[in-house]
Amino acid sequence: MEALIVIFITGLISMFVAMAKKPMLVLLTAVLGILVAISSLTYQVYSPYFWLDYDGLYFGIVENMYGIVALSFGLLLILVGFQSYKKEPEHTGEYISLLLFSMCGVLIMFAFTDLFMFFLGLEIMSIPIYVMAGSRKKDLKSTEAAMKYFFTGSFATGVLLFGIAWLYGAVGTFKIGEIALAIQDPSTHTSLLFVGVLLILASFLFKIGAAPFHFWSPDVYGGSPNVVTGFMASIVKLGGFLAFLKLFTISFGGIHDFWSPAVMVIGILTMFVGNLSALRQTKFKRLLAYSSITHAGYALMAIVSTSTQSHFNLWVYFLAYGFSIIALITISKMLNDNEDDLENYKGFARINPFAGFVMILALLSLAGVPPLAGFFGKYLVFSSAIVDYPVFVILALVNSGIAIYYYLRMIVTISSTSEQNSTELENTKNSVYNVVLMICAIGLLAGGLVTMFN
Amino acid sequence: MELILIPLVVAILACFVPKQMLKYFSLAGAIASLVVVSVHALAYCGSSHFVTLIDPGFITAFGLSFKMAYDGMSLFMLVLTSLIFLLIVLSNFNNETASSKKFVAMIFLMLFALNGVFTSMDGMVFYIFWEITLIPVFLIALWYGAENRKKALMKFFIYTFIGSLAMLLSLIAIKVNAASFAHSDLMAVELSSKAAFWIMGGFFLAFAIKAPIFPFHTWQPDTYTVSPMAGTMLLSALMLKMALYGMVRWMIPLAPEAMEFMLPIIVVLSLIGIVYTAILAIKGDDIKRIFAFASISHVGLIAAGIMLFNKDALSAAFLQMFNHSLVAIGLFLAAGILEQRLNTRNLYEMGGIAKLAPKFGFWFAVIGFASVSVPFSSGFIGEFLLLKELYEYKWIVGLLAGTTLVFGAVYTLRAYQLSMFGPAKIESFIDLSWNEWLVFFVLGIVVLALGLFPQIVFDFVGPSIENLMESVELSKNIVK
Repeated sequence: MEALIVIFITGLISMFVAMAKKPMLVLLTAVLGILVAISSLTYQVYSPYFWLDYDGLYFGIVENMYGIVALSFGLLLILVGFQSYKKEPEHTGEYISLLLFSMCGVLIMFAFTDLFMFFLGLEIMSIPIYVMAGSRKKDLKSTEAAMKYFFTGSFATGVLLFGIAWLYGAVGTFKIGEIALAIQDPSTHTSLLFVGVLLILASFLFKIGAAPFHFWSPDVYGGSPNVVTGFMASIVKLGGFLAFLKLFTISFGGIHDFWSPAVMVIGILTMFVGNLSALRQTKFKRLLAYSSITHAGYALMAIVSTSTQSHFNLWVYFLAYGFSIIALITISKMLNDNEDDLENYKGFARINPFAGFVMILALLSLAGVPPLAGFFGKYLVFSSAIVDYPVFVILALVNSGIAIYYYLRMIVTISSTSEQNSTELENTKNSVYNVVLMICAIGLLAGGLVTMFN
Repeated sequence: MELILIPLVVAILACFVPKQMLKYFSLAGAIASLVVVSVHALAYCGSSHFVTLIDPGFITAFGLSFKMAYDGMSLFMLVLTSLIFLLIVLSNFNNETASSKKFVAMIFLMLFALNGVFTSMDGMVFYIFWEITLIPVFLIALWYGAENRKKALMKFFIYTFIGSLAMLLSLIAIKVNAASFAHSDLMAVELSSKAAFWIMGGFFLAFAIKAPIFPFHTWQPDTYTVSPMAGTMLLSALMLKMALYGMVRWMIPLAPEAMEFMLPIIVVLSLIGIVYTAILAIKGDDIKRIFAFASISHVGLIAAGIMLFNKDALSAAFLQMFNHSLVAIGLFLAAGILEQRLNTRNLYEMGGIAKLAPKFGFWFAVIGFASVSVPFSSGFIGEFLLLKELYEYKWIVGLLAGTTLVFGAVYTLRAYQLSMFGPAKIESFIDLSWNEWLVFFVLGIVVLALGLFPQIVFDFVGPSIENLMESVELSKNIVK
């Protein structure tokens, strides 16, 4: 809860600091605020029996762990965006504070115990992102992305509200614990409940970008500014998935048999749609979008799994995934081209060996090659589902085999000798980017170690 | 512990060593790891117990036990790896790549991973090291390979990665019923013969792709030809051995219940591979491709021998693995020398080199004879024993596998004759440099020594093989 308040106040302060027209000062405020929030969360994780239960919000160890990861990712992404702040000093305040407000929403998404709070969190998280997606106002693609994201997003929110209304009709409460109790009683198993659950499911699947609700994501990912793409792919997804997991395993755990086949089928569909579409992509961020759809498909396995460790598995999974995405986003930011064409990455690893090395690590981690963190996340998620859903796991492994093709194609592209624009790439060396990349590299290499704790 | 860590430390240090010192540094690193392994080997000789390297004594939530240990078989593979690795470094000593930081770091990372593969006694640790080996060898070929490498390398990576995924699935499937990934825990799992069939199938796919065994070999000739010389040597002399070792240590002991189904399948596939690739080698005109096919043909024989899973066959298989590595290094060094100095791999554009470079001609012939398994070379003992075991299994199998001796002589001598004899098509050819000569010399000595005293190998791995077979029998009996 302290973290939530700190982040919110930091957001407010950054807006006022921005009046001084010194972007570095805003950046400093935001970084300090996030660091304070992270340390307060870390302190709470390590103090035994420490939890905070507010009416509607509950900060236990799981929520705090997720919070630490989300805030750290946010910190890295805000650092990555620093060159744009220099270019447009007048907008830095809004830019950073919107990201901070969105992070508040994510924290509420982690901690809700009440559907009201959940809805509030979802909106606080989403609305800044709608704005951020269109923050390059003069760019047609960015505007398109914002419009598409806003329309489809608000539609999904409507569906969610509708679903919550049906659910309330069936069980008569908004508290997720009470819903779980009510569902124990078979007399609530009416069409009211089932329709409500399906509507809520549909809106979640939209938020995490699962097929067939994924059509917005390539356009939005491709059109948004790089940092916002990274934010959506790492942090928003983390919020969406933990909320999904909480609501469906805690509240709707009693009717697991009802929704799990649907989630499984959608998971399989999502993996195939994401992978097969990614095979022929030539744009970097669209490729990331399809790869992120595929990863959502894998992560759905943690939702259907009946394992009690699912929240931890998902945490490891998104920890690894987030580091990869942030590394890739940093690199696309370094290249700073609006074309976003994969061809422009040709020879990148030869000109900037360190960044090239981190990019290779990030891609291999996405593909799930050990000993990188991505492998451990994948392994935990897959092995938790093998007993109940062997078909799902086998198809996911088949998909890992398909996916290696396009990750490998990118590795080959960046390692090949470039004939062109080597001068343009020369000025990509920059200390802040290198720090972020270094952190990502350490995270990817050592991320597997977190599986030893727990 | 230092067994595994030395290569990793060297790999990291290589990033900070000045460029002109780099090749001496890598040579020193290779010698150091060979010395350390030899010390371990001399201390161990003749016993059959496991020497623990790492055993933290707890099991993570993940199921990892981190157990690493070696017995005679592992140690034998370690000696093989370190010796061959030293020879690879030596034969690459004067090439441009030897003073590249990335290259040196990658080959030592490879050595680290290989040592890990051979000493891990935990399924997941084994899998992780197994996958790490893929990355350096892929990157070496990607950075320093021939012009048209991209397609071949993608094929190679995708092929092997899919094989590894099948192995991962098998591991997860066994682990469901086991306490941890420790080798002993996985062995204790009782499987129905249907489950064992699929689990062994998953392992077999991974190993058959890596080895490679027909029909999973199609990546191999392309990858060997586009890789730089050191990459080809790493692939053929070291990576391939991981697959054969994996069959002995993991595939058969973990799912022995499936042996009666899998034995005929794998033996037949190996036989097809032996004959089919030998014929391809006879028809070829690209010298690297010929040796690549020859490698598949020889590996088929070893794989068939391993599947018989008795003491003599396994001992012979280990001897033959050593021999195959030695021969592979020699042949690919010869092919590399020819390619480097003539800028072609086509046999019909060579000729008459024996006159121009008599030293090279002599040592190439020595390695050629070792490859054909003439008496007094280590290959003779190994192949003879393997063929004897296959003959005892089914006479027709022994007969068909025996064609490898005939075909082997044909394609090796044909390649030798076309390149070294006949009218000279080129004016000058630089003879062996000191490091190349040294590699051939060491190879020649070791081949001869093992040909005369093969008992050294049998005494070294024999007790451990008996040990392994006993524990497999034991776990089989529990099921019955």
